Amino acid sequence: MLYFAGIDIGSLCTKSLILNEDDVIIGTSIKRSGAAYRGAGEEALNAALKNANLKSENLNYIVSTGYGRARIPIADEQVTEITCHARGSSFIFPEARAVIDIGGQDSKVIEINNKGRVLKFVMNDKCAAGTGRFLEVMAGSLDMDLEQMSELAKQSKKEVEISSMCTVFAESEVISLFAGGTEKAEIASGIYRAIARRVTGLASHIVSGKKVTMTGGVAKSNGIVWALSKKLETELLVADDPQIIGALGAALIAKAKFNNL
Amino acid sequence: MSEYKLNRLETTKLIGNIVDKHWASLRHAKENGEKVAWCSGPVFAFPYAMDMKCHFMAGYSSYAGGRGAAQQLLEIAEEDGELIDSCSYHKLHMGMAAAMRKNIPVRKDVILPLPDLLISGRLCPEMSHYAEGLYRKMGVRVTGVDVPPPHQKSEIKYFEKYVERQIRESLIPALEDVCGKPFNYDRLTEILITLKETAILRNECWEYLKLKPSPWTLWDYGVSIAPVFYLMGSPEAVPYYNKLKAELADRAAKKIAALEPEKSRVYWDGWLPWAFLGKFSRIMCKLGMVPLVGRYPWEFFPHPETIDTEGDPVVSFVKQVYSNGGQAKDNMPSLNLPVIQNWIEDYNIDGLIMFSSKSCRMWNLGHNDFIAAIERQNGIPGVVIEGDMVDTRMNSFAQIETRLEALAEMIEARKG
Repeated sequence: MLYFAGIDIGSLCTKSLILNEDDVIIGTSIKRSGAAYRGAGEEALNAALKNANLKSENLNYIVSTGYGRARIPIADEQVTEITCHARGSSFIFPEARAVIDIGGQDSKVIEINNKGRVLKFVMNDKCAAGTGRFLEVMAGSLDMDLEQMSELAKQSKKEVEISSMCTVFAESEVISLFAGGTEKAEIASGIYRAIARRVTGLASHIVSGKKVTMTGGVAKSNGIVWALSKKLETELLVADDPQIIGALGAALIAKAKFNNL
Repeated sequence: MSEYKLNRLETTKLIGNIVDKHWASLRHAKENGEKVAWCSGPVFAFPYAMDMKCHFMAGYSSYAGGRGAAQQLLEIAEEDGELIDSCSYHKLHMGMAAAMRKNIPVRKDVILPLPDLLISGRLCPEMSHYAEGLYRKMGVRVTGVDVPPPHQKSEIKYFEKYVERQIRESLIPALEDVCGKPFNYDRLTEILITLKETAILRNECWEYLKLKPSPWTLWDYGVSIAPVFYLMGSPEAVPYYNKLKAELADRAAKKIAALEPEKSRVYWDGWLPWAFLGKFSRIMCKLGMVPLVGRYPWEFFPHPETIDTEGDPVVSFVKQVYSNGGQAKDNMPSLNLPVIQNWIEDYNIDGLIMFSSKSCRMWNLGHNDFIAAIERQNGIPGVVIEGDMVDTRMNSFAQIETRLEALAEMIEARKG
């Protein structure tokens, strides 16, 4: 049996996935990236291998992706996360023609064809608005984690506006709303709608009329999926574990590369 | 170890000395009893015709950026009240002015003498603020030449009259007043003759960019722009381009490519990232990606054969900006997109890079629209890269690298 690995080293988390030659996912792992990308990549790969009852010498080809992709010496090849998310998304949802990936430090909207190839993409600019980091900071300012914030947002009865695009100013806005007596649930809902507005601005010309899937760790949050679906007026397709889609794409590409050797 | 090899041109190594000499002559102009002008926009030929030493706004900015002095000047400007996201070219000058006024120590080679006349050739609103700011902070004399963009061919003749009239009735009298002598129309004609010869040679060099693989790149042309623009009329201009053309002919004969192997050929829209050409080059070389043609560097006298050296030099100059120039092509809705599409065919372009400067919005508008329209028509992918020409803080090279790699992957996927 042949085995392929994808390692996705993001700014917040490192994901690894092992795929066999029949395209069955046999091991995954997710670790915090921390400051040492190489260490995180190796740790995540070893955990995924353990999960799959394999050793590194069993692997036939490894593709790394994500911002730390160049830091993994064990990888046979590096591919951008844009191409990997496209490929992984198409594998899980063949009907998808657009991907929204909200990662730790950027958000991307990718148009794909029926083979999971990238037709075009747009990314946020260097500002953290519309990224996982934005949500983390906002959750921190409400003194809760992302899951709690997501649950709380659903209880909101009123809509409050978080207007600032800047993460730091938005945090001040949240603190000021809280100090003014606004309910946390309303603020949480406002935060998700703010990020949805930001991503929709980026996404609308690409996703319009298409089946859209959402990937990345942020897609685990019901709050953002709900807010984005509402804003885009479409039901987003979300995989069981949207966070490993980049690593899945990398493993699929590893298989294709190996077969072309 | 990269699988790609960059073959540097010998001729472009000469440009540093030519440019340094120009800026040194400006720095020492006052001690030599010469008059000094600072200029934005394309009208520096007029102070040159009066034998003034003349600075050019964008040229100075690329020079300061290339010398590694930009960041300090930008920060000095911000400490003096400028906003962080305003035009970095404007801020560099405000930083230089503040450094002089407050005696802040900066590299001596980026400090220029205050001008006897500041000519605000207005291509964008920031250029007005640049002139106003320097007038307010330094008390320098200012005159403006408004160079508005046309939107249809029928407007061009009116705009030409408008610019010509400003030059005759405002700029030339101001230059005569500052210099205390009549305007030298013969010298302006001589400058145009040299410009014509230089730009024709430059166009012959452009033809080599059509070869596949290309013997030189847009970056090589970028560093060679000065002799055909703000050093126009310089005695070193024609020899430089003759030498460049000979080297390119030699490379073409020997089939030497600028980058070996040449994997993809890209179009570059907007400003060149002057202070970061090396960084961009390293990323693009690693991908086998060669930048070949672009809207901004192509706007300087693209049709030099039309330069009339027999008639009125003022009219001839203005026509180079409008009827026969890049200003019209870069701004007219009916021309802009078709011009880029022609280049994509002429230069065998595989992908588009739209460089979106964080501090200059003039060139950025519609970048995604352009990519979509060109993709529909020409079937090639594109990407928007955000950054700045000189401000390090506006460039995130991790993000830039990801975008360029993704573009390379899209190009490769389309080539099958």
